[in-house]
Order: sequence, then structure tokens, then C-alpha cells
Amino acid sequence: MNRGALRGALGVALLLILWEGLARGLALPSYTLPSVSEILLSAWTTRQALLTAAWFTLAEALAGYAIGCVVGIGIALLLSLLPPVRRGVMPVMMAINSVPVAAWSPLLLLWLGVGMASKIAAVALAVGFTVFLSALAGLDRVDRRAADLMRSFGAGPLSILWRLRLPTALPLIAAGMRVSTVRSLIVAIVTEMLGAYGGLGWIIYQAVVQIDFVAVWSAILVASALSLAFFGLVGVIERRVIFWRSS
Amino acid sequence: MTLPPSAATPLLELQGISKTFGSVQAVRDLSLSVEEGEFVTVVGPSGCGKSTLFNMVAGLDEPDPGGILRFKGRGCHAHELLGRVSFMPQRDLLLPWRNVVDNAILANEIEGANRAEARAKALRMLPEFGLTGFEKQYPHQLSGGMRQRVALMRTFLFERDLMLLDEPFGALDALTRTLMQRWLLDVWQRHRRTILFITHDVDEAIFLGDRVLVMSARPGHVKHARRVDLPRPRAAELVTSPEFTALKREILEAIEEESMKSFVASNGAVAA
Ligand SMILES: Nc1ncnc2c1ncn2[C@@H]1O[C@H](COP(=O)(O)OP(=O)(O)OP(=O)(O)O)[C@@H](O)[C@H]1O
Ligand SMILES: [Mg+2]
Repeated sequence: MNRGALRGALGVALLLILWEGLARGLALPSYTLPSVSEILLSAWTTRQALLTAAWFTLAEALAGYAIGCVVGIGIALLLSLLPPVRRGVMPVMMAINSVPVAAWSPLLLLWLGVGMASKIAAVALAVGFTVFLSALAGLDRVDRRAADLMRSFGAGPLSILWRLRLPTALPLIAAGMRVSTVRSLIVAIVTEMLGAYGGLGWIIYQAVVQIDFVAVWSAILVASALSLAFFGLVGVIERRVIFWRSS
Repeated sequence: MTLPPSAATPLLELQGISKTFGSVQAVRDLSLSVEEGEFVTVVGPSGCGKSTLFNMVAGLDEPDPGGILRFKGRGCHAHELLGRVSFMPQRDLLLPWRNVVDNAILANEIEGANRAEARAKALRMLPEFGLTGFEKQYPHQLSGGMRQRVALMRTFLFERDLMLLDEPFGALDALTRTLMQRWLLDVWQRHRRTILFITHDVDEAIFLGDRVLVMSARPGHVKHARRVDLPRPRAAELVTSPEFTALKREILEAIEEESMKSFVASNGAVAA
């Protein structure tokens, strides 16, 4: 783990150095590729606005993420208890899921307005489906012999779900939740670009309109820092909770 | 310790039980009965339907229609036995996210027992199962023998009149195995449960059992039932006594005949 992190950090540092060298050596104009130092400097001078925007976006992403996880896992639990309902509902679910984020974001803006609600809904949908599908796959992975053993102790479907199927599904649920961290920020930012009162997506959109590419890059920098931190945090929690897999 | 001659109704009685999976008949026309407090061992060639028999008595699989299944003198469907017999499957099936004590009380928890009380009871039983000091360990931290003892403890804590043990010592080395056998007899004598016990090992079957049932090759039924009149408590030296050896020869002969049948049958199937 530590060696992996070290190697990752080294890779990123190398990339940044290469980038800086290229941008300066070839004297690229900043609308093609600004140098790293230029971006960092701009990010520092506009830190007030960037932080406010980052907080705004993070709040939307976290709210949507929480709702998506709870609803996704909840529906998966419910459907795995009711196989007939599941067979009826799954095609509908898959049809909704096959619509790309970019397509339902404008609709959400029309329905829920330009405020935070539309971003939260978009994130919740994206995260919800990912977590739902991984939870369902995890719940199906149950060891039949273990379920039989519990039945022989007189356990009903609910008891087996709670004591066996849910813990068995946790590693897959956690994997779904981990990839959803990055997705939640992407979806929040993309939806903000279509219309918002604030947030990193809104800053990026404004900067593009004003042809201020350094500002675009500094917003992207903040967004990827946020994604990485969120991803790392969920990864750490995952290793704590699912302790029996790591050793 | 000798059993009263069948004055009372048997605890478990099967008559003409069959079980078919698709095109495979695993068990055919099987009859057996187990008296209250009796320790009955079952031996037979691999794949003859021993686990299938247990799955039916545990209530997990319904036998084919036509046979008779009686528990405590009352005819019943297999599924009515769910929660009424204490079943230990061939693999330990410990839950990796539960420590030793919480694995041991799984059945009690399912029954709705108070968790703190069940834990306290399990903690008191740890020394008897040779698990003192391991209560907080997780299954991946235990040896095979210890895992098996945790599974046995789980089965014992689920206090039912009939215990079904499917090759509980099958995966253990010879030394651990003999120790566990003596230990099990000891525990059995103190807890007075009725035990139906599957094994591949004829020595084990005779050493432990009041009666040894030899099953035929698939489709399985009881081919030979032999009472073991060796005195209890049984000491380790018993295994080398002439009575024991005579019994062993008799049972081995019966098994070998059946094993040859299933061996020839499976080889034939491979050749065909
Ligand atoms: N659920 C099932 N579906 C289909 N076939 C099954 C099923 N359970 C058991 N069988 C078949 O029934 C036969 C008996 O199996 P069983 O597990 O009862 O044998 P066994 O005597 O316990 O063998 P072993 O000593 O190797 O444990 C086998 O041929 C097996 O393939
Ligand atoms: Mg078996």
C-alpha cells in the first residue's frame, strides 16, 4: 500500500515536471497548454473563489452520493428479497441506466431548476445505479451451503439477508461505492456547466466563455484534487470495514 | 451406558426414503432408525448419498414422495425439521467477518436468544472445546482443527435432540483426529445428545458408535447395520483389541464390496 502510494506520487511528479518542461521549452501559448507553475499561481491568486466553488460542488456531490448509496443499496436489498418483482423491474432499470448522464442532466435542470437540487439529483442517479448494480451482484454471490446451514438453524430470508448475504456482498458494494466517488464529482461538475449559480463547473464554463484557459486549468486542478481525496478516503474506510479480506 | 431395547419410540425413523436429482438417483429405498441418546455412525463409499441423507434429515431437501419420515414418533415433511435438528455440514462454513465466539453463537442468535447471554455461555464452553484465549480471533487466523472445533461448538450450542455431524474430522491429520474422537466421546457422554455421524474411516465409526450403518454404493441405502458392543467409556487401546479387529474386518468387507461396485461403475462411466 505505502509503496504503491509512493510510486503513484512519483509518477504524478514526473508527469508535472515533463509538462512544465514541455510548456516552457516549446513556449506553448496558454490556450494550448499553460505551464504548471502558471496554473498553480493562478489557482493561488483566485483561491477564494475556487474554494467557495469547490465547497459548493463538494456539497452537491456528497449529498447526491449519500442519497445514491442509500437508495441503491436499499433497492438492491428489496429486489433480492422479492425475485418476482425483481424480474419485472430489472428491464426498466436497465433501460433507464442505459441513458447517458449528459442526456438526463438537461431534463433535471428543466424539472428541478438551476440550483443545487438538479445537481444532487443527477449525482444520486449516477451513483445510485452503479451502487445498485454492484450490490445486486454481491447479494447474488451468496454461498448456497452457508445459506442452507442457516436455514437448518431455522433462519428466514430476512435473517439470511442480514447475517449472510449483506456481509458477503459488502466487498462488491464497497467497490461500487469507491468508483462512484469520482463519478459523483464528474456528474456534479458537468451538470453545473449546463447551468448553475456556482461551483467548479460553473467557474469552468465562465472561464471558457471569457477564453481564460489558465482559470479553466486551475478549476480542473482543484476538481481532481477533490476527486482523489474523496476516492482515497472511501478506500481507507473500505479497508477498515472489510477487514477480513485484507489479511 | 447400554441402550434400553427399543421400548420407547425411536427419535428418528426413515422408511423407504428415496431422493432423485434430475437423472441421478442419490438415495433409494433407505430405511433407518435412531434411538434417543444413541450414537450412530454411517460409513459408505464416496458419493453414495450420505450428505444427501443428512440434507433431508436437516430439512433442507424434501425426499421423493412415497417414503416415511418420522421424528419423535410423528410423521412429518422434511422442511418441518428446519430449526429442529443441529446440523454440521461437511465444510466448517464459518463466517469470516465473525470472531470465534460470534461464529459459535450464530444459531442461537438466529433463534432470537439474548446475544450477551449466548456469548457468556459460549465463553464458558471455550475450554471444553480447546479454544481458550481464541475467542476474539477470526476464522482466517485459526488452524483447520480449531475451525472444526468452532463449527462443532456452534452445533453443540444449538441445543437440539438430534445432532447430524457430516465428516467433522475428515480434514484433520491422524493424530489430531484421534484426539478429537476421544474428546467428542467425552463431550457426548456429558451432554447426552443423540448423534448421527458420517465418516469415511471405519476405525472412527467403530470407536465412536453404538451402531455402525454401512451404506451401499449409489443409489444409497443401508446395506448392513452392526451393533458395537464395546464397553464405554472407550479407551484408546480398544482399537487394537481382538473384538475391535473382528468388527473392523466384518465392516470393511461390507464396505469394500460396495466401494468396488461404485469404483467399477464410475470407471465404466468414464470409459463409456
Ligand atoms: N443438489 C444436487 N444436485 C444434483 N446432484 C446431487 C445434489 N446433491 C447430491 N447430488 C448427487 O448425489 C450423489 C450423492 O451425493 P452425496 O453428496 O450425498 O454423497 P456423499 O456420500 O456425501 O459423498 P462424499 O462421501 O464424497 O461426501 C452424488 O452423485 C451427487 O452428485
Ligand atoms: Mg458427503
